[in-house]
Amino acid sequence: MKTILKIALGIIAAIGGFLDIGDLVFNTQAGALYRYDLLWAVVLGTLGIAVYAEMSGRVAAVSGRPVFDVIRMRLGFGFGLVALVASTVVNLLTVAAELGGIAIVLQLLFDAEFSMFVVVGTISLIAIVALLPFGAIERLFGYGGLLIAVLIATAIHQHPDWSAVANGFVPSFSSSALYLYFVVGVFAAALMPYEVHFYSSGAIEEGWTESNLNENRLNAILGYALGGVFAVALVVVSGYLFHPLGVEPNDLGTVALPAQGAFGETGLLLALGGILFCVGGAAIDSSFAASYNLAQFLGWEWGRYRGPKGAPRATVSWLIFLFLALLIVESGINPVEITEYSVVFSVVALPLTYLPILMIAGDRSFMGKHANGRFAATLGWAYFAVIVVLALAAIPLLLATNAGGG
Amino acid sequence: MDEIFIAHRLLDEQILDSEGRRCGRVDDIELSGSPPRITALLVGEGLYPRRLPQRLRGLARRAFGVERWGANAMRVPWEEVDEVNAAVHLRGKAEELGLGAGDDPEKWMVRRLPWN
Repeated sequence: MKTILKIALGIIAAIGGFLDIGDLVFNTQAGALYRYDLLWAVVLGTLGIAVYAEMSGRVAAVSGRPVFDVIRMRLGFGFGLVALVASTVVNLLTVAAELGGIAIVLQLLFDAEFSMFVVVGTISLIAIVALLPFGAIERLFGYGGLLIAVLIATAIHQHPDWSAVANGFVPSFSSSALYLYFVVGVFAAALMPYEVHFYSSGAIEEGWTESNLNENRLNAILGYALGGVFAVALVVVSGYLFHPLGVEPNDLGTVALPAQGAFGETGLLLALGGILFCVGGAAIDSSFAASYNLAQFLGWEWGRYRGPKGAPRATVSWLIFLFLALLIVESGINPVEITEYSVVFSVVALPLTYLPILMIAGDRSFMGKHANGRFAATLGWAYFAVIVVLALAAIPLLLATNAGGG
Repeated sequence: MDEIFIAHRLLDEQILDSEGRRCGRVDDIELSGSPPRITALLVGEGLYPRRLPQRLRGLARRAFGVERWGANAMRVPWEEVDEVNAAVHLRGKAEELGLGAGDDPEKWMVRRLPWN
C-alpha cells in the first residue's frame, strides 16, 4: 500500500512537472493560429517523450548509467563532446527562457520591474535548492504545477465544439511553412531533452534499481499521458478564445487569460500560480540537467545527494549556468523569443542524445532481460526517424517563417 | 585480440574509487608488450586533445591544456583496478592515485567555496 501511494505521488508530480514555458508558448500560439488543427502534434510529441523517458529511466535503473554516461560510452569522446556542447547550449537557452517566464509571472502578480524579478526569481530558486532535498524539490514544483488544471476546467466550461476538437487529433498537413513550423514547435516543446537528462539522473539520485522498473513505466505512461492532457487543454482553450478573434498571443500572460474569462480573478490567479510552479520547476530541472551532463561526461562527482561539499565542481557549474542564463534574460531579448529558439534548437540537438540511449536500451549485454522487446524497439526506432526528419526541417522552417513571425 | 576488445569496452568508462566517489573517466589506455596487455588507465583533461581529430588538437590544447604527466594526465596502474562492471572500481582512494583533485575538499580552491 505504501509503495502504491509513493508511486501515485510520483506520477502526480510528473503530471504537474510536465508543462514548461515551451509548451505554454507554442501550444497557446498554435491554438490561436490554427485552432485545434495541431492537437495531433501534441499527442505525437507527448508519446515521444514517454518513449524516450521510459527507455532512459530503464537504462538508469538497470545499468546505473544516466544519459551522458551512456553518450560518452557509445559515441566516444569526440562525437560525445559535440552532443555535450549542443545540449548545453540548448539547456542554457531553456534555463534563460524559464527564468524569463518566472519574472513575467511575478511581474503580473506584483507590480515591479522585470529585470529585478529575474534576479529575485533566480535567488529564490537557489535558496529552494539549498534548503530542500531532491525529492522535496520535485514534489513542491510538481504539485504546485497542478494548479494549471484550471485550464482543463476552463476548456470544459467553454463548451467547445467537441467534434471539431476530436478532428484535431487526426494528422493533417499543409504546405504552409508557418503550419509546419508549428508542427515542429509543438512536437519539440513536448519532447524537450533536458526533461529526460533530468529524469534519468534523478533515477540515480533516488537510487533506482530493477525494483523501480514498474514505477518507471507508470511514470512514463500515466505521468506523461495525463501531463499531455494539460498540453491539449492549452491548445483547446486558446483555440476557442483567441482563434476567432485573430489574436496572436505574444506574451506569457495571455496563456492565463482564458481562465479569467471562465472563472474570474480566482481563475486567473490559479492559472498564473500554476504557470509559476511549472516554469520554476523547469528552471531547476533544466539548470540541473546542464550541470549533470557536464559532470557525467567529464567524470566529475555529481548529485544533490552528495551535497555541495561532495560535488563542488558540479555545484559551481550549476551556479555558473544559472548566472549565464540570468545574463541572457537581462540582455533584454524577449523571453518568448528565447523560448522559441530553445525549443527549435532542442529538436536539432535531439538525435545526438536520443540515439545512444536507444542503442543501449536494446543491448542485451548491458540490459539483460530488460533490453527493448520488439514493441519498444519498433516504437523507439520509429521515433528516431520522426526526430531526424524534424531535426533536419527545423532550421529551414525557422528561417523561412522568421521564427514564427510570418 | 581479447585485450583490444577489453580496452575498447573500458575506454570512456566512469571511474569510482574505493569509497565509491566518482573520480574521472578512462580517457585513454596504455597497452604494452606483444601480444599487447593493458598496463594502465590514463585519466585527466590533458588527454582530451589526443582524443580529437588531428586538426582540432591545437585548439583543444588551448582549451584543456597541454598534456602534463602527474598534473592533468594521470597514470593508474592496472593493478589498482579492483572490479569492472557499470563502472571501473579502484582499490585505493582517489587522492592516493592523484585523481578527482577538482572535487578534493583539501584543495585550496574547493576549500574556499562559501559553503565549505
